[in-house]
Parts: sequence; structure tokens; C-alpha cells
Amino acid sequence: MTQSLPSVGELPTELRTAATRRAEATKQWARDYRSRTEDGAIAMHGLVFGSVLTTFLLFLAGSQWTVLPVLAFLATMGVGWYRYQAEAAKALTFLTTVATVSILTLIVAFLLLESVPAVRAMGIDLFTQVRNPAMENPALGQGLWGRGGVWSLTPMMLGTAITTVIATLIAAPIGIAGAVFVSEIAPRRVREVVKPGIELMAGIPSITYGFIGLTIVNQYFYVEFGTPTIGTYFAAGLMIGIMALPTVVTVAEDALNAVPEPIKSGALAMGSTEWQTTKSVTIPAGLSGVSAGVLLGIGRAMGETMAATVMLTHTKGFPSPVFDAFSNYGETLTTVIAFEGGNASGIHMSALFAAGVVLFVMVMILSIGSQYVEWRMYQKLGGDQ
Amino acid sequence: MSNVNRTELATADSTTGDLLSLGVLGAAVLTFVGSWLLLLQWVDEAATVAGLPVLNLLGVGLVVIGGGLAFVGVGSRLDYVDTAPSSTAGVVVGAVFGLLWAILGGLVGTLALGDATVLWLPVAAVFGIGGFLGAVLPREDVGSTIPVAAILLLLGGFIVTGGIGAGWTWSPAWSSAEFPGSELVPILVVFGTLLGAWSAGKAKEGFGAEGRQAGAYYLIGSVVFAMLAVLALLIAFIVTNGLQTMLTGTSLFGGRLTVPFVGVGLPWPEFPFLMNQTGGLYVEIPGVLPAVVGTLWLVFGAVSFAVPLGIGAAVFLTEYAERGRFTQVVEIATNGLWSTPSIVFGLFGLAFLVPRISGGNSIVVGQLVLGFMLLPLVLITSREAILAVPDAHRDASAALGVTKWQTIRSVVLPAAMPGTITGVILGVGRIAGETAPLLLVFGGSPYPSNTPNVLTSFTLTAQPPFVTNEALLSPASALPYQLYSTITAGVFPKEIFTNTEFGWGTALVLLLVVVGLYAIGVGSRLYFRRKLHHE
Repeated sequence: MTQSLPSVGELPTELRTAATRRAEATKQWARDYRSRTEDGAIAMHGLVFGSVLTTFLLFLAGSQWTVLPVLAFLATMGVGWYRYQAEAAKALTFLTTVATVSILTLIVAFLLLESVPAVRAMGIDLFTQVRNPAMENPALGQGLWGRGGVWSLTPMMLGTAITTVIATLIAAPIGIAGAVFVSEIAPRRVREVVKPGIELMAGIPSITYGFIGLTIVNQYFYVEFGTPTIGTYFAAGLMIGIMALPTVVTVAEDALNAVPEPIKSGALAMGSTEWQTTKSVTIPAGLSGVSAGVLLGIGRAMGETMAATVMLTHTKGFPSPVFDAFSNYGETLTTVIAFEGGNASGIHMSALFAAGVVLFVMVMILSIGSQYVEWRMYQKLGGDQ
Repeated sequence: MSNVNRTELATADSTTGDLLSLGVLGAAVLTFVGSWLLLLQWVDEAATVAGLPVLNLLGVGLVVIGGGLAFVGVGSRLDYVDTAPSSTAGVVVGAVFGLLWAILGGLVGTLALGDATVLWLPVAAVFGIGGFLGAVLPREDVGSTIPVAAILLLLGGFIVTGGIGAGWTWSPAWSSAEFPGSELVPILVVFGTLLGAWSAGKAKEGFGAEGRQAGAYYLIGSVVFAMLAVLALLIAFIVTNGLQTMLTGTSLFGGRLTVPFVGVGLPWPEFPFLMNQTGGLYVEIPGVLPAVVGTLWLVFGAVSFAVPLGIGAAVFLTEYAERGRFTQVVEIATNGLWSTPSIVFGLFGLAFLVPRISGGNSIVVGQLVLGFMLLPLVLITSREAILAVPDAHRDASAALGVTKWQTIRSVVLPAAMPGTITGVILGVGRIAGETAPLLLVFGGSPYPSNTPNVLTSFTLTAQPPFVTNEALLSPASALPYQLYSTITAGVFPKEIFTNTEFGWGTALVLLLVVVGLYAIGVGSRLYFRRKLHHE
């Protein structure tokens, strides 16, 4: 490990050679581009990129003149398409790719930008404060949202954690069982019914789940289990778990399907039963993919908004003990944004953006983690990557 | 190996064992279904069947299952029933049983000794170790039946004798909720029957490898069955509750269509819930027309924004770009966009688009935000579709001297179109039901009294944007947003429906739209796949 690192003295030289190499490559590319492309096409490329850049900058500045570079772009593109269709198409597809990446970049930038005032006002307390000293009797978890200039996301983070844990406890085992069933056990006819059924489950809008949760599940828990309020973390977590199920099933099933058939056939040829093959060969081989599915499911559960917004009570605080999922408290990171985002302003709005940042970072970690795990599995199985 | 033994020694005894296990399985299924009926409150807790309260009946079911299992297990051990068990049930089974028995021990401890004592912990530990050893030490036929049978007999006995009954309530100190026996019993019985079915399934196949397979399959099968049952229930709830609202005032020939210029009225189908405004003074039966039109505009805008972008990016990534750092970044960005929570898109629209475009909630911002959400799905599916086009097609085209772009345009894209279209339809089904971002950037009044009039409100101005459209820049309603605002608003303005009734009707319309799109998507996928295989 230590030998492979260059010593400090060599570092500038290394950097310089890398920079020259990169510059050389760019020069070469420019020369190639120059010799392969007609002058008119080069002019078109320049005009197209210039007008798109101007459009973006003017739009960012909120100028009413944004329409002019748009028209310039359309005109250039129109002429270019007529004269140099291949070059125009290449430029256009490149632009669309850049646009896709820049949308994510813009999302990150604006979330961070808008949450700056709240972070400046509260500092790290925004994510850690659990007591409000401004209150008469500073109880744990009380008055942390807008009382005496205190904005703390801790009650919402706890709420998200509770609902996500409950949802995962439901979605992970049932989802894995479903994936095993669809990919290994079910005969072809059954699979052709079950699989679209599960995809359909993913397609039902979340607000519909929320409406059913509100009118049926919440009422059930209130009447039968005597919960202090209509709407608890447990009921919402239950519904979110059902909603996260299809994600787990689909991704985990893909992973089990990706386990090469010869491995399974080998095990069967050794005389093991189908279940022994599934249990000792297929699931261990596809385990990374299955866990990627579970991670994605957790991400979905965390980001789920509407069902929780409709079902929860929007009372902020810490249940005591912390794992009491039937308490009268109910607010998560997503629900606070959806419920208060419409009429918030100033530092309140900024705090909501900070909630968005927390959510985004958590989900992004889960997403990249699951991509990495999946990538490793395909590497191990010797897939096409 | 187990197969060989069984065929050799197939005697009358083995059928007795089979029959007995089959009977136990049947009892388990009946009890399982019965407890779900109770949980879903289709059967009243106080009801009696043949003079027995239903709760006690569930207890009897458990006792029967437990007794049958014990009988089969012992019979197999004493070789009355012909089986092929392994030497032990295995450590995993032992661990599960240990955990179950520990929970049971904890419950017994708290119930018998009272909440105040800490004694429940050692009791639970003793029970847990007992359960583990009881499962692992004996031969498999005993180890995987007797511990189950004991749990079921204990639980069933408790329920039958009324130890846990309808009147009994468990209110632990750590929870704000109370757990009444009338709900706790069915829940426990559901888990008990699952356990019993696993054990009976094993016994039916004579234990050993075959038995373990049967047990696992019964368990997984019932879990999946329950999952699909939940889906069916959800849809059934919406349909039964929403149908009456949706069909209010409908008739096949009740309406009148006046033919223009001639002035003759023709009988015409009438569908007020779909064709009427939601608010407004003169509306007799409020409908969801503004929401339907709003959803159509949203989907139209999102598709016309996201589809060209997504397909363009997919073409660049697959045909032009070389695999490397750049494509990796795009892939990560695409997957990131795909997993970004919808509410975060709403926040982004609120911060970036709203102040620059309309200064408030508006249709066009809603279209763009939904377009952002649709983009990664279009990109991923069309990229897969383009990658699936065989290289032979490209090579053949290149061999004819066709340029790269012409190959893409006339060979690759047409071949990839079916997959792309399917992906777009499925994605549209998804964004049509999306609500969270609409709350922040789109939604208008909860009961709109006019539909957004986009087509006729384009106006030309001398000022810089030159073309403006008042309707596109103002808020509107969409089906999911309508459902949300109906739920959260107080009282419904018309007497004919309550909020909940109107909500169920809206939910049904939304479900029909989404399921319809979904069915078209899946249908087109099947159609194209079949076509591909026949060619």
C-alpha cells in the first residue's frame, strides 16, 4: 500500500506529466475534429453550444430575454439539420446527455443553496439539537420547530427512521420470499400472473395507498388498538412497507435470474433438491443483488411522501420510549416538506430545504451503495461487464 | 436418496402418515383463513359457530394442528409412519425455534410474575435454550414437529380455556396502544398456522431433503399468496367504495347531444362524474373533469419534454460515446435521478423554476418537474432497447456504405422503438399518479370550477417572451392532487357527496387511468416480444 504511493517530492512532476498528457490528448482531439468536420458544421456547433449556454445563463438570471437565444438555437439547428444532419444530430444527442447530468447537478446545487440560511442560523444544531432551552421546561424533543428561533430536524429524522425500519421489516423478508417464489419456485403459468401483479402493485399511486391507509388502516388501529390519535408511525410504516415491496421483489428477482443456469444445473445434477439448490447455490450467488434490492426498497420507503403525509398526525416530538410506534407523534422528513412547503417562507422554508438535503443524501448513499453491490455481483458472476 | 427409500418401503403405513399430515395441513389452512376473516372484520368477534365463540374455535384449530403434528412426529420416530428423516433438524431451525420459545417464555414470565419483576429475562432465556435444544438434539422428525406442536398446544390451550379471550387486553408500558385479545388472538394464530403448515408440509413429504423443500415451499407460497391477496384487497376496496360515486347519474341514453346546424337532439351516454366541474354554483353532480384535463396536460407536457431528451441521451451514450469516465458519470446521475424522492423534485421546482417562469404554482412548472422525473426512466429503457439491437444490423448497414447517423436513424432507432414506447408508457403510468411535487409547484384551488383552457389562451405580445399563455402559467388540478385536496379539505361543498365518497370516486378514476396505461404498456411489451420471437 505504502510503496504504491509516490513520495511527496515526486508529486508535482507526476501532476505536470499528467497535465501535459491531457493537454496533448485534447490538442490531438481538436486537430482531428478540425480536419474531419466541415467549416460550416464547426460554425454550427459553436453557435448551438453558445446559444444553449446563453439560454441557460439568461434563464438562471431570470431575464425576460431568454427567448432570444432559444430562437437563435432553433434557427441554427434548423439550418444545421438541413445542411449537416449527421453533425447536428451528434451535437443534439450530446446536448441532451449534458442536460440529463446537469439536471441532477442543478438539483444538488439549489437544495444546498436554499438550505444555507437555516444552516447559518442554526449551525450543526439543525441536525442534532434535541432540547429547546428557550422553553420553560425544556423537555426532550419538544418545541424544536420554530419555537424561539429554534429549527431542529431531529424529530423528523427520528420519524423517518421509525417508519423506514417498520417498512423494511415488512418489505425485506416478504419481498425476498416473493423474489424466490417468482424466480425459482413458481411454474411458468403462475409466474405470468404473479409478476405483472407485482408490477401493478408498484404502479398504484402512492396517494391511493395513503387514502386507503387513512380511511381503513388508521381507523382500524384507532378503534381496535386504542392508539391515542388516528394515525401512527406503525400504521404509516405498514403502508409504506407494502408500497416498497414491489421494488424489493423486482430487483431481487432480477438478481436471482442473473445467476447463470449452469451453476444451478450443476447443483441439481449432484442430486440436490430444488430447494437445496435455491438455498445453498442460487441465493448465496445472487446475495449481492438481493441486498441491492433491499437497499433500493429502503430508499423508496425513506423517500415515500404522500401515504405518510396523509396518514400521520404532523405532531413533532420524540415518542417515549423511542421505539413506541403507536404514540401521538407523527412527522417525517418528507411529510414536513409536503405539508408545510406550500406556505413557508424565510428560515422556515430554508429549514425545509435542509430536510430535503438530509433526505437526498441518505437516498443517494443507498442508491450508490446498491449500484456498487450490484456491480460487484455481476463482476463476480462474470456477466457482460 | 430419500426417494429410493420411500419407493422401496411404500406400504400402507406411509399412506396413514400422508393422510394425517394432509389433515393437519387442511386444518392449518382453515384456521389461517378463519383468522384473516376475523382480522379483516368480515366475521364479528362475538359470533359463535356451533355454540363455540369464534376465538375459541381458532384455539381448537391450533390444538388440532398441534396434536396432529405431535402424533405424526412421534409416530415417525417409533417407525409407525414411514419417513426418511435426517439426523437433526439443523441449527437454523433450532435458532428460529429458540427465538420463538424465548418470546413465549418472556410472555409467560411477564404474565405470571407481573410487569414489575426483571425475572422475565431468565425465564425467556431458559425457554429459548430449551426450544433450541429440543429442535436440534433429537432426530429431524421429532425435532421439527414436537417444538411446534408444543407451542401450538400451549397457545391453543390458552385460547380455548379463555386465558386469552375477547375481553382480555394487554397494555404494555412501552406502548401507547393496547392490544386486545380479540385482535391479538387472530394475529398469533396466523403465525401459528404458518408454523404448523411448515411442519406438516415437511411431515407429508417424509422429512429429509424432500420434506425440507415441501416445508419451505408451503411457507413461501403462503407468504406470496398473502401478498397478492393484499393487492387484490386494495383494488377491491377502491372499486367497491368508488363505483357508486363514479356512476352517480350515469345513463346510457339519458343525455342529449344536439347536432350542430341541424338542431336535432340525439340520445347520448351521460357520465356526470367524468364530465362535470368539481366546484361551481350550478353543478348538480360534482365531477372530476378539471382534474382529468389537468392530468392530460401534465402528462402531455412531461412526455414532450422528457422523451426527446431521454432518447437523445440514450443514443449518444450507446452509439457515440466510448465507455469511460463520462458514461459512468451519466449512469450514476441517471440512477441518482431515478432514486431521488419525488418531494425533492418538488423542492427543486419551487426553488429553480417557479420564480423564473411563473412566480407561483403553474401547469408548465408541473409539466417540467414531472418531465425531470420521467427522464431517467426513458433514458434507462431506451438505452436498454438500443443495446438490444444486434450489432449485425449495424454492421450490415455500415457494409452498404451508409454513414453512422443514417444507420442510427433508419436501422437502430426503428428497431429500438418498441422497447422505448413500452418504457415510456410504463413511466407515464407512474408520473400520472405522482402527487408530492404537485403540492409544491402545481396545485390550485381544491374544488376548481373551470378546466384549464390551454389551447385558446395563447396570446402574442410585443414584449420579449412574444408568446404567452395565461392558462399554462396558472395553477390547476390533477387527479392525484384532487384526491389529496379532497382528503385534506374540510367539508365537501355539495350535499350530494361527502368528502370520503368523492375521494373514493376520484381514487377509482385515478386507478383506472393508471391501470389502463399499465395494461397498455404490458400488452405492448408482450406483443413486441412475441413478434420478435416469431420473426
